[in-house]
Amino acid sequence: MPPVAMQTTTVEEAKLGWKMVIPVILFATILILYPLTRGLLSSFQADRSLTGGRVKWVGLRNYSEVLQDPATRAAFLHSVQYTLTAVILEVALGLVIAVTLHRAFRGRGVILAILILPWALPSVVSGVLWRRIFDPDNGLLNDFLLRVHLINLPQVWLANEFWGRTFITVVHVWGVLPLICLIFLAGLQGIPEEVYNASAVDGAGPLRQFRFITFPLLKPAVSVALTVGTILSISIFDEIYVLNGTALNTRSIVMQVYTVTFKEADFAHGTALALIVAVITAAFATLYILSLRRAAA
Amino acid sequence: MTRLTNWSVIASTAVALLLASCASADGGGSASQNPSASNVFSAPGTVDLKGETITVLLPYDVPAELLKDFTDKTGIEVKLETTGWDAVQSKLIVANTAQTYVADVAEFDWSFTGQFAGQGWVEPLETALSADLQKDLTNTSGAFSSGGHIYAACYSNDFRMSLYNSGLFLKSGLTTFPSTFEQLGVDAEKLKNAGVQYPISLPMAATEGGVTPWYLLTIAMGGQLFDDKFKPIFADPGSAGAKALAFEIEAVKKGWVSPGSVTLDDGPAFDKFVAGSNAIALASSPGNLATAYDTSGSTISGVVKPGLVPGIDGPGNSFGLPEGLSIPVTAQHKDAALAFIEWWEQPATTLALFTNAGMLPCRSSVLADLVSNGQLQGGAVISDQFQKVVPLFPQGAPIWYSKFSSEAQGLINSAIKGEISANDALTQLADKTNTLISDSA
Repeated sequence: MPPVAMQTTTVEEAKLGWKMVIPVILFATILILYPLTRGLLSSFQADRSLTGGRVKWVGLRNYSEVLQDPATRAAFLHSVQYTLTAVILEVALGLVIAVTLHRAFRGRGVILAILILPWALPSVVSGVLWRRIFDPDNGLLNDFLLRVHLINLPQVWLANEFWGRTFITVVHVWGVLPLICLIFLAGLQGIPEEVYNASAVDGAGPLRQFRFITFPLLKPAVSVALTVGTILSISIFDEIYVLNGTALNTRSIVMQVYTVTFKEADFAHGTALALIVAVITAAFATLYILSLRRAAA
Repeated sequence: MTRLTNWSVIASTAVALLLASCASADGGGSASQNPSASNVFSAPGTVDLKGETITVLLPYDVPAELLKDFTDKTGIEVKLETTGWDAVQSKLIVANTAQTYVADVAEFDWSFTGQFAGQGWVEPLETALSADLQKDLTNTSGAFSSGGHIYAACYSNDFRMSLYNSGLFLKSGLTTFPSTFEQLGVDAEKLKNAGVQYPISLPMAATEGGVTPWYLLTIAMGGQLFDDKFKPIFADPGSAGAKALAFEIEAVKKGWVSPGSVTLDDGPAFDKFVAGSNAIALASSPGNLATAYDTSGSTISGVVKPGLVPGIDGPGNSFGLPEGLSIPVTAQHKDAALAFIEWWEQPATTLALFTNAGMLPCRSSVLADLVSNGQLQGGAVISDQFQKVVPLFPQGAPIWYSKFSSEAQGLINSAIKGEISANDALTQLADKTNTLISDSA
């Protein structure tokens, strides 16, 4: 049994700890937990805009209805496509660019600054800029392709099933790639140069060095990049809204949440869908964090 | 702290959150389930409104000098907030659902009536506005009425009509605007042959502005979207709604309308018309005529003319989309808001707004004066079109209109792009509508 003086100190420390933590708890409760709880409750109620404001509990009906909605299913599929394509491109290109920029060379600083620019631009602004490129009547893409005779007529790229989603993915990757590069660059800088020197002495070339040194030691950075890339692509919204609005062919799951909640004024179904998306996103984040811990261990 | 204490704290917090959420969830009912305007506004002249500041939320700009006129006369400052129509709708829906303040005077579109009135989000005005004013607004008040109450005062007497570039018409050998859809097709081909790449400007984006042409074409083809019991009739292949969608699809296929229109909202589509890219703005409005005449922004001011919306055997019907000023129940300065609405509805103000901002007056007396004095450019045609305006919902806009419209925007846009067939789009829309009707019963 510890001495009385030590027990008193422990209690005092605990009280002080609580006093310091309570403001943060209050903040989190008011701004995060309370809205989350309200949202959860409203997801179990009927859409009030149809009941004239009356509260009617419907259990899991909203979840069931929203998952059966064809537009929601299509949006899920589109989001899977966006996520898979964007993450693969971001990780692959990010790795290549980071490895290239890891070595010192003349002009490296300037290239890094230019590289970061797309990430620094607000996504709405970049969407507006890209819209100019994809414009069917006066866009730069159509103008170029017509001049080199790759197309005969101006194309409405964003109205096309395949090209619409492809180009939106390109715009998204363009904006996120700098961040992924920086993550990999930071990871590369954590690898000691001596390891490469030792391997060079043993006769390892650049490819073997990348395969047996760089990539294994970059696994934590890869986990972070995958987590960030996945969360950002699941939450893709601004680029789609600016480039193609709420059109069905490019609608992502978050765009569907927006459409249901704010355009249809259906907060019940919209909240249910939003919570489903939140759970999926949290699951991905948890998987990556666990893999990160395993890699670190 | 012991583990038991930790769990106790967490459990207590969770219970408290749940109770708080349930309490405000149940108590969040709207203030006007049984609306009565009489106890909301003060008797005229009993309150000094000088020094108050009101927020006005509209999707259109109001000239600063006009707002200054209001401030000079009443001492009330105005903070005008403008954003796109769809964004205004979203703001109002979110704020009203959360029962939080958004503005003292707010946009009230005809399409809001069922939903906003049904949930008691706005104050009734029938006992606050003068009898003379209400009589002068009779032609448009119906769009803002529900359950015996009037929820907004009309500020823009919007309805759909066509505009055309008579210069391009002459160049193509055309002297009159087509009165039938069949003639419209013939004239569109002549315009194409004369070098007008895409003769018709028609917004087709997945937005409210992009789906409105489908509503107009349905009405113009002599039909309606619903029967008197709100049963959707547009899925029937022989219905006016089906024919209207078929026309839009054909117009894109034949090159009468640019394929890029599937990404264009009504504003950008009209911008292309006034820039001289198209010969016909098929689903435009009288307010746009004033903008087209404005030499500062229009390249066709000398040649633009109004035209009656084509129909099957002759000029077709159109429908009204009046917009009004309302006072949300969450407004903080309701008397000052009422004063603003009363000032806006004064004949001199509505005339100034028409001249400077293209808002066609709603007061019958003011409209009649404009026509008789020859101040309404294209007045005779506008007047003729006004006679052919019918409501989109003769039964009144339903409480589920925003959901129907959102669904229609996506499906009609997809059908025009060829992603789904027109029949599939309309069938899905009809199914959704039937679900909405049963859910709201």
